[in-house]
Amino acid sequence: MRQVFRGAVLLLLLLIVVPAPANAQQEQPPLVRVGTEGTYPPFSFHDPGTQELTGYDIEVVKAIAAKAGWRLEFVETQWDAIFPALDASRIDLIANQVSRNPERAAKYGLSSTYTYSRGVIVRRTGDQRISSIADLRGKTTAQSSTSNWAKVARDAGANVEAVEGFAQAAALLQQGRVDAIVNDNIAVLDYLATTGSKDVEIAGDAGQSGSEQVLALRQADSALLSQADQAIAALKADGTLRGISQKYFKADVSVENGGAADLSEGRGPRSTWDVLASTAWPMFVGLVKVTIPLTALSFAIGLVLALLVALARISPYKVLSGLARAFISIIRGTPLLLQLFIVFYGLPQIGLKFPPFTAAVVAFSLNVAGYAAEVIRSAILSVPRGQFEAASTIGFGYAQTLRRIVLPQAARTAVPPLSNTLLSLLKDTSLGSVVLLTELFRESQLAAAESNEFLALYSFAGLYYWVICVALSAGQKRLETRLNRYVIA
Amino acid sequence: MTDIRIEVTGLHKSFGSLDVLRGIDFTTPRGTSTVLLGPSGSGKTTLLRSLNALDTPDSGVVRIDDVSVDFSALPPGKAGRAESARLRAQSGMVFQSHNLFPHRTVLQNLTEGPVVAQKRPLDEVVGEARTLLDQVGLADKADSYPHQLSGGQQQRVGIARALALKPRVVLFDEPTSALDPELVGEVLAVIKDLASEGWTTVIVTHEIRFAERVADQVLFLDGGVIVEHGTPGQVIGDPREERTRRFLRRVLDHG
Repeated sequence: MRQVFRGAVLLLLLLIVVPAPANAQQEQPPLVRVGTEGTYPPFSFHDPGTQELTGYDIEVVKAIAAKAGWRLEFVETQWDAIFPALDASRIDLIANQVSRNPERAAKYGLSSTYTYSRGVIVRRTGDQRISSIADLRGKTTAQSSTSNWAKVARDAGANVEAVEGFAQAAALLQQGRVDAIVNDNIAVLDYLATTGSKDVEIAGDAGQSGSEQVLALRQADSALLSQADQAIAALKADGTLRGISQKYFKADVSVENGGAADLSEGRGPRSTWDVLASTAWPMFVGLVKVTIPLTALSFAIGLVLALLVALARISPYKVLSGLARAFISIIRGTPLLLQLFIVFYGLPQIGLKFPPFTAAVVAFSLNVAGYAAEVIRSAILSVPRGQFEAASTIGFGYAQTLRRIVLPQAARTAVPPLSNTLLSLLKDTSLGSVVLLTELFRESQLAAAESNEFLALYSFAGLYYWVICVALSAGQKRLETRLNRYVIA
Repeated sequence: MTDIRIEVTGLHKSFGSLDVLRGIDFTTPRGTSTVLLGPSGSGKTTLLRSLNALDTPDSGVVRIDDVSVDFSALPPGKAGRAESARLRAQSGMVFQSHNLFPHRTVLQNLTEGPVVAQKRPLDEVVGEARTLLDQVGLADKADSYPHQLSGGQQQRVGIARALALKPRVVLFDEPTSALDPELVGEVLAVIKDLASEGWTTVIVTHEIRFAERVADQVLFLDGGVIVEHGTPGQVIGDPREERTRRFLRRVLDHG
């Protein structure tokens, strides 16, 4: 039995430590991983009925793939993580209304233009202070911080409040937390049509010139880039792009001056109950398929590591205890989000690239190890010295004493604080949403971006977390009762 | 010709600048009881704990049967710990505060060492353990947890746990000091039985009257040396040294 358990733990560690091998099949068409927000309607969003990823950019890139003979895999992430993901080779191409600008042209391989549009300034309805780009000086706007629109706003002298997508920006503007938004004309029209909002309005154009949107690739992938360019040219020639554009915007945005986009029909506002009903299942799937396995696996591995770190910490060997102390100090002294980013975006730069789920397990289990190690250490030290002596007089060695005498008693002390660690971990896995994991919280974000039902969706996601936490707390209580049976008469 | 079971030669031990043992020599014949007497701080507990290397002397030799450890030549690290463990395996120990394993039943407390450390077959060990529990009058408590027992019962389990190891020597570190007065008698009775059954015992105690009855040999320690040794009649009944007399007067007045 113990052998089986050991084998299982070893196998797990191997699976996690050994990065998945690159797909080496030559025969199949090339697999192109496309990074997109999934929260930027009408370009990239989830159809509320089917939950499928769709939108203008999605259909365009699918048409390109059909022409160029690519297989596609969509990777959804928020805007500010898209270029880092491209740099770290987690994706090969960005299809998310990337505006062409000199900085990007210098660093990335940019395709020919597939969307011509213009930036507009959005204000609260009737706010006369803001009517042109010049009025943004000294005001605050809400933007994805690394977007081209953020650059436009900054250049105009605005303070930029960083947000994760247009829906969030619109919410901040409506709530009066920012003064304006600079964004794409089409995105704004879509928002106004979908929400039926009368609280915000378009104040005017953001600057004279229009903007051109392109696909972004790594500069080194020149073959992929020329395939994309050829495909775009062909799709323009055969009218496919015009067709997609007409479907979404009633205008052809794939050429300059192709007419004014008209989104007044919109996708139609839905009731809060409709939104919740159609999102409850995807959130549940995110909970069961990602949140819970991620929590369980990270906690199990984290505890094993924590025990080793705790033993190193109390060992008489100075080097060992020093290393353990340093590890604990680093883990507890830095933000979990930063640790996650180091594992996910940092390590690939030195050749250690893990798939998203594995990267999250690595980061979360190391974090658990740092915190739980101190809990386990103090629990071990709380076992009376006489127990260690008695164990040694009946002939036990170090490992036997630990396993059979000390740890079972230390468990009693350690269970309440370790339960706290577990509950924190469960909730912290929501950070997985920033490393391309579609877990429970990410599902609620996706739905909120499409529907603007922030309060209802985030509350509902909270309910899921809370129910699991209540169940875990009940489990903790039973475990404590069990461990207390030999001290309470 | 007597068969020497314990032989201690030239034992020294200091904690920092405090010399606790300053040259201890004695022998214990097989099947006898040796009682260590002395005021607190005299070094008697340290001496007892040196016999199974729970405390490591700085120098001197301890031999129990065929296992002999020269502490001045003890190798550092793992090898030294292995040698100490070999000496420790020769004896069983009964602690002042019993140190029973609270998460194990009474029976499991007895079987743990023989089964896990000595790797003896479980059913054989369980049989012996039940006999031992019967012997200390606790046959009906086999499946209780230690916290369900009285102090005297706990200490009797502690004694049975030491015996279950089939040790060459049984060491007692003030086995009745932590007990309520009315519980002392039942524990002393068990220890006295052991002595008459032929176990070799070394006992640190403050119970002078008990020492008189049970001991074959009494060692009186003070300031880290053996001041006086002999039969109970000699050391307790007719002490030659002033230090011994002063100690006995004080203890017997209060006792």
